[in-house]
Amino acid sequence: MTSASQPLPPAQDERERLTRIQIDRSCRQTVVWYYSSAVFWLLVGSALALLASIKMHSPGFLAGWEWLTFGRVRPAHLAAMIYGWGSMAGVGTLLWLQARLTRNRLPFPTLFPATAIIWNLTVAFGVVAILAGYSTSIEWIEIPPSTAILFGFCIAVIIAASIRMFRSRESRHTYVSQWYLFGAIFWFPLLYVSAQIFLHTPAAAGAVKAAANWWFAHNVLGLWFTPIGLATVYYLIPKVIGRPVHSYHLSLLGFWTLAIFYNWAGTHHLIGGPLPAWLITVGIVGSVMMFIPVVTVAVNHHLTMVGHFHHLRHSPTLRFVVYGAMCYTAVSFQGSLQSLRSVNEISHFTHYTIAHAHLGVYAFFTMVMFGAIYYVAPRLLNAEWHSAGWIRVHFWTTAVGMALYWLGLTWAGWEQGRMMNDPRIPFLDIVRFTVPWLWSRSAAGVLMTIGHISFAWLFWNMLRRRGAWLPGPTLLFWKRSPESLPEGAAE
Amino acid sequence: MAAFYLALWGLAAVLGATAIAALVWSIRRGEFDNLREAALSIFDEDEPPGAITDAFPARHPRSSRRP
Repeated sequence: MTSASQPLPPAQDERERLTRIQIDRSCRQTVVWYYSSAVFWLLVGSALALLASIKMHSPGFLAGWEWLTFGRVRPAHLAAMIYGWGSMAGVGTLLWLQARLTRNRLPFPTLFPATAIIWNLTVAFGVVAILAGYSTSIEWIEIPPSTAILFGFCIAVIIAASIRMFRSRESRHTYVSQWYLFGAIFWFPLLYVSAQIFLHTPAAAGAVKAAANWWFAHNVLGLWFTPIGLATVYYLIPKVIGRPVHSYHLSLLGFWTLAIFYNWAGTHHLIGGPLPAWLITVGIVGSVMMFIPVVTVAVNHHLTMVGHFHHLRHSPTLRFVVYGAMCYTAVSFQGSLQSLRSVNEISHFTHYTIAHAHLGVYAFFTMVMFGAIYYVAPRLLNAEWHSAGWIRVHFWTTAVGMALYWLGLTWAGWEQGRMMNDPRIPFLDIVRFTVPWLWSRSAAGVLMTIGHISFAWLFWNMLRRRGAWLPGPTLLFWKRSPESLPEGAAE
Repeated sequence: MAAFYLALWGLAAVLGATAIAALVWSIRRGEFDNLREAALSIFDEDEPPGAITDAFPARHPRSSRRP
């Protein structure tokens, strides 16, 4: 299918075209609030990440103050990144996408920025509470449970807006991205509420708490970040290269199989733990079944991109989004394999898992969100990004940094796991073996942080509108005058 | 303990059930009838298939700043 042979969709009248410009305008305040906050938390999270990483190979570093001990810095990093950066960038993108997909204005123009402020205060309280020693010690949900009501309020507003936009949608079709977004919007609150109930009431104690913990934690990735990330990929790749998704059949198959299988996968985190074998086997089956959605998504995105890879040179959005989509395939394959008992007995409790987690949340989700912000922010603020050079710095530092991070820790973790399974090797020898790779992790972290700082600089200048003025919010600078295309981007 | 596992898996089943209910709803609504048109629904006259909508900013953006 070439784009040239595509028939144009039915012509739309002037009113609808104007509406699309107004759609982006209606998102301005809300989405800019969410994105700016996300960028702020990205910087906070990076600083905490570097601290934690350095402590792994130089344990004496800033160890004199209990607020900055590893046991506090590491969960604070997670909270800042997951609830600050990831969720706020995700919500901003989700709201903009829904407004675009339903061809509606984003409702609640004053309430939404208020929710962003509440969300920020909640994350700030959570991070400070963790650093002060009030963590719940339950991974991915360390923020004290008293904040649940505030997150709950923000999510309730998002749900109300989503339903309202969907009910008054103009498009006859529910695009595949909308399905993914609904998945995120409706499943995450259910997960969050039930996890709070399961984890913070006497209902669960001891080993069963771990089962509830990992069911929740894995689903935050699988049913919150993954659907938002994939919805973005399914919208942005076709929009940027101007070509509909290769097979819409496959895209629907991918969504519905994800919806049915993903939520069972969480207990693979507890292989070898003190839980009934059947419970863990269910998790393994769910994980292996994930091959179906992953293969369909991977094949589909690849075939959509075939013949259009040269656009990667010219489009910052496409670079980040395609990098993210490829890493989604990689991380999911790795995850399915890792859930097999024979693989897991080596990889579990090693640095391998850390590399895997970052391949999912960073290389996939975060990179897709960077791509989304590069696409959305100019359309909201009517200004172009002020510097192509800084975008390139951002891309290459994060892409290379992430690759270095993953390669070092995957290798170190695998060897570490093999050595730990051999009782003749003294434990300290294994620790010493990992130290050079922990240094490589810190080096990768420095690279990624440089990328984040350049991104924050770009975003700051976007807020100040230091880039070229865009007369029409959805028409980019070069598109209006093709002769000024950078580096031969003209077809 | 067993009751707790059942509760947890019951909840997972509820999540799965919402997915299946949505699938049935979408089939009934005819979402699967015209997939080609659905795939094209993100395009419009302004940005039709074939229009590339993203690029690096031009090298000297400040020269074209708004007045």
